[in-house]
Amino acid sequence: MIPQSHYLILSAALFSIGVFGILTRKNAIGILMSIELILNAANINLITFNRFSGKPADGLGQIFALFVIAIAAASAVVGLGLVIAIYRNRKTILVNKMDLMKW
Amino acid sequence: MPSGLIQLLNNTGVSHEIAAKMIFYPIACLTLLFAISVVTSRNIFHSALYLALTLIGVACVYLYLDAEFLAIVQILIYVGAIVTLFIFTIMLTADISTVPFGGIMRRTLLSAIAAIGIFFILIKVVSKTTWQAAGAGAPSLGLPELGRSLMTKYVLPFEVISLISLAALVGAIVIGKARKK
Repeated sequence: MIPQSHYLILSAALFSIGVFGILTRKNAIGILMSIELILNAANINLITFNRFSGKPADGLGQIFALFVIAIAAASAVVGLGLVIAIYRNRKTILVNKMDLMKW
Repeated sequence: MPSGLIQLLNNTGVSHEIAAKMIFYPIACLTLLFAISVVTSRNIFHSALYLALTLIGVACVYLYLDAEFLAIVQILIYVGAIVTLFIFTIMLTADISTVPFGGIMRRTLLSAIAAIGIFFILIKVVSKTTWQAAGAGAPSLGLPELGRSLMTKYVLPFEVISLISLAALVGAIVIGKARKK
């Protein structure tokens, strides 16, 4: 059996990689991809805690992770719709060029 | 661990414990490597393909945690739908190969420091805590129970999530629709 902490370290590494991606990517699609990585890290945590909790058959963590996947799908759909709308109007998807509402 | 794999291992004579580790750690390392490729790849299209591989690796980790249904859902929804959507969006927008770090070394360096700092704080928290694996040997949730609790105990969140999906669908159509001149 692989110990619980190893799953948590894997999840922490995935989360940190996602944070790095959000901070460095200039492409809006790249930022959305990094957000997906972070949501996956959260899901690994939820399922790990469900598995190693006192009552894994209760399944609360798995159901929560299912809802996280649904929300992630919804956010990706709306985010990519926004990217396409911005590209149509401003011909760029680089976030440093989207400065219309900045001072 | 998947039961088919255990059957296979019974025939080869390798101990389950060692075999499980021999498969898990390479998968974990590969997943992290692919994730790093997602954020550092120069070509955003390659990033999307690496994202698909990362998500498949995470699905394998779910299998290790006895969450078979979640692993299937992960592959169906993430790899099947979301990554396809990403690739479509990349194809529809022009800037495919942009420099990921934008030429600003200072910002990359600061971001790397922030990410590594967060990582070490999390590692510290994980290693300082004494985890008691209470349910390590207990049976996990089966698919019938999962479906039943989704339809009885958690039916209200389930309905709310369907409403959110509908709102996202309508919202994406409204946002993405071309305006009539």
